[in-house]
Amino acid sequence: MVEYKTKLDDIFHSLADPTRRDILRRLGSEKTGEQTIGELAHKYDLTLAAVSKHVQVLEQALLVRKRRKGREQRVSLSPAGLGQADRYLEQYRVLWEKRLDRLEDFLKEDKQRK
Amino acid sequence: MEKAEKEVTLVRVVDASPEKVWKAWTDPKLLKQWWGPDNVTIPECEVDLRVGGKFSITMEAGEAMGPYKGTLWPMVAEFTVVEPNRKLSYKANAWTEGADKQDTMIDQTTDITFTEENGKTKVEVYAAIYKTGPKAKMAAQGMEMGFTQQLAKLEKFLAA
Repeated sequence: MVEYKTKLDDIFHSLADPTRRDILRRLGSEKTGEQTIGELAHKYDLTLAAVSKHVQVLEQALLVRKRRKGREQRVSLSPAGLGQADRYLEQYRVLWEKRLDRLEDFLKEDKQRK
Repeated sequence: MEKAEKEVTLVRVVDASPEKVWKAWTDPKLLKQWWGPDNVTIPECEVDLRVGGKFSITMEAGEAMGPYKGTLWPMVAEFTVVEPNRKLSYKANAWTEGADKQDTMIDQTTDITFTEENGKTKVEVYAAIYKTGPKAKMAAQGMEMGFTQQLAKLEKFLAA
């Protein structure tokens, strides 16, 4: 559970910055999609180092991932970034467990009424 | 082609016949009595029990939820399999009312099988959550926030 809390903090930290938010938007857009560090630096008029820093923060939050293609680093959205979906899923499972608990209670009461 | 992002499977043996369990699961009057966890009421429930029929059910956070009281969780589904006393499947969209629907939308399919076992019924629930490609990509940022909000509210439901 502690692990998840940290990830949430990382995500909030990622989303707190407008440039990072826009990087995510850009990566998620059908028209632009995956970008290299160079392309991002150009788009935001930042140094490679500054963009790399932003990407590092996003990577830490598992929102993006980098892969090397030749001499370039390509940045894309990470499916694991919606890794909060894991937590959601766990809660979803608990919801179903509780629901089935109530079904059992309901059927038991129904039986006793006979 | 959509791929199930995540799945949950649950199995319970309930002390009732498949017919009774089927009825509990398909009669709106009965569904309202057990579908939600504690402190959640079901203000609306509609069941059109046939393949392609509509299954809609809304959970509402009750008094005990404090600031979350009144939060609505609608689910609108379509039955894909209807085999009385044996199998029930539906595909659904569920979201958090009041939050951005696009951001908080969860697509899911649920398969429930009922198997008789010595007068009792083994209930197996298989639920798979899907995200469609474009929605996932475009809503990445929003979805993350959406998930976070949903988590907070869901946790409130479950902590009750």
